[in-house]
Amino acid sequence: MMVGAATFHTAMAEIVVGSMVLATLCAIGCSISRILPSSEINNESLMITMDRASLAGSVLALIFLPIAILSGNLAADGQAESALLYNKFVYSGLALGFWSAFVIGRIRMGPGLWDERPLAILQSTTAGFAFLMTSMASSIGGKLVRGESLFDVFPFWLPTETAAILPLWAAVSLLILGITSSALVFRFTLPKIARIE
Amino acid sequence: MKRNAVVILICITLILAPGSSVANPGGNGDGDRDYSCGGSCHGDPSLSMPSDATIEITLGNEAFSGQAVAVHVTIEDFSTPSQIIGIFLLGSLNGNSDTPEDHGWHLIQDPNGGSSNYIETKASSSGSVTATWVLLSPENSGSHVLYAEIHHGSYAGEKAFSGVSEPFEVNVQDVPEGLPGLADDWVAPSFRVSGDNSPLSISTRNSTDISVEWMLDGEWNPNNAELVCKEDSQDVCNVWEVSIPATIGEANILYRVTTYNGTFSIEQPWLKMGTAPPPFEGEVWSARAHSFAFALLIISFLVTLQARLYPPNQRDDMDQTQIVTSSEMIRSEENPGWLWNPDTQEWVEDPDFEGGN
Repeated sequence: MMVGAATFHTAMAEIVVGSMVLATLCAIGCSISRILPSSEINNESLMITMDRASLAGSVLALIFLPIAILSGNLAADGQAESALLYNKFVYSGLALGFWSAFVIGRIRMGPGLWDERPLAILQSTTAGFAFLMTSMASSIGGKLVRGESLFDVFPFWLPTETAAILPLWAAVSLLILGITSSALVFRFTLPKIARIE
Repeated sequence: MKRNAVVILICITLILAPGSSVANPGGNGDGDRDYSCGGSCHGDPSLSMPSDATIEITLGNEAFSGQAVAVHVTIEDFSTPSQIIGIFLLGSLNGNSDTPEDHGWHLIQDPNGGSSNYIETKASSSGSVTATWVLLSPENSGSHVLYAEIHHGSYAGEKAFSGVSEPFEVNVQDVPEGLPGLADDWVAPSFRVSGDNSPLSISTRNSTDISVEWMLDGEWNPNNAELVCKEDSQDVCNVWEVSIPATIGEANILYRVTTYNGTFSIEQPWLKMGTAPPPFEGEVWSARAHSFAFALLIISFLVTLQARLYPPNQRDDMDQTQIVTSSEMIRSEENPGWLWNPDTQEWVEDPDFEGGN
């Protein structure tokens, strides 16, 4: 029995959103845990648990996000026929970028990164933005299918009804710039970052 | 114990927050629908309660067989939390095959600009609404019946309110020989794209001439439109192109066709045409490239930021082996035990050097 691309996409998106919520809450929890003084509740065991949960959640989200994006592509039938759909592509890309940076940072620097306040703030802010972008992409899915979204209750929100459309040549140029900058960044930062002990 | 109670309370609140409704309180959208079968589960008496609304049907003009007629449905004295009301125009109360099309009528335009027998609209704050359908009367003259059924939400919550009008009898008269009117197969366009001023095509029958008046929705003084016959026939012309000005934004334009043939001069009902936004011009490959470009740029930016915020003492204490293995160091014969780092322009210790043995 076959399952439609839209149904499969919904299932994948639910996995991404679920694991992402876990990862985001735990990442913010790690930062707060290091800011607050140690106590019976705020102990090292809690810190380790939240760190591992955030890593597991974000890795799971990162594995399923490309599957969700690809199945969403299939469900869209190869068309970006509205501003909502175009923005769903863009917000998905932003979510992928933030989640990738979160996982790269945590794996390269290890759990010791939470002991460095600037890095801990950067990491939890990255998780927060990743949450925001993934929520936006999911919210647009709700708008497309049901005509409403949980975010409708907010008086203001990021733009979804209007899209900044790039012509194909500009989008491809931006993609080349992205590939080049990623290659350069990894080339020059690779020897400089290691696990923080 | 207290913590568990808080967690249980939060869980119960989250479960109850979405409510238990499985209906479509926002409506299902306009469409050709029978009242009971497939169109609305509110036809089931166990899922609905009678509405207090008064429903009245009136005709805008005399009905001749095959000619356009306006049917006004006025609903008053009802209240609904969302102000949304669904209105069915029906040819019978059979429950299935009950649309006007099933009973010989032909829908030219519904109140929302489409051509459906079921529409959803919002009521005024006083709890009343008037909806006008434009139909071609059945070809068979004689008595025909129309009904209007409604459903809307209730403050009580669980069940929808439902109501039906009294049967409205329409006496369809025989058409006098050569009576001009709109063509059977012509459907009034619902929308034009914003800024589009291309001529509107209108098909008629038995007409030697037509005139078209237009005005913006809300205006009272109609203007005459320029028109051209697109047929070569000498006597009658049934294909016309009418110049109606372009609209932008959310403007609706109303227009009325009057058909002529000899002594006949038949004013057709007012028709409405909305303004649709221009088609979206985004391409899927552009969206994909845009998306992955943003992903890579965000990764680049954040990894750079991570390197920038990386603690300097960690950088100094870093195991040199990692640097040696991960970058292109130059081994020099003249300086055994040392490697030249071209990136930082300095000498570093060779971890693989075994003291010259």
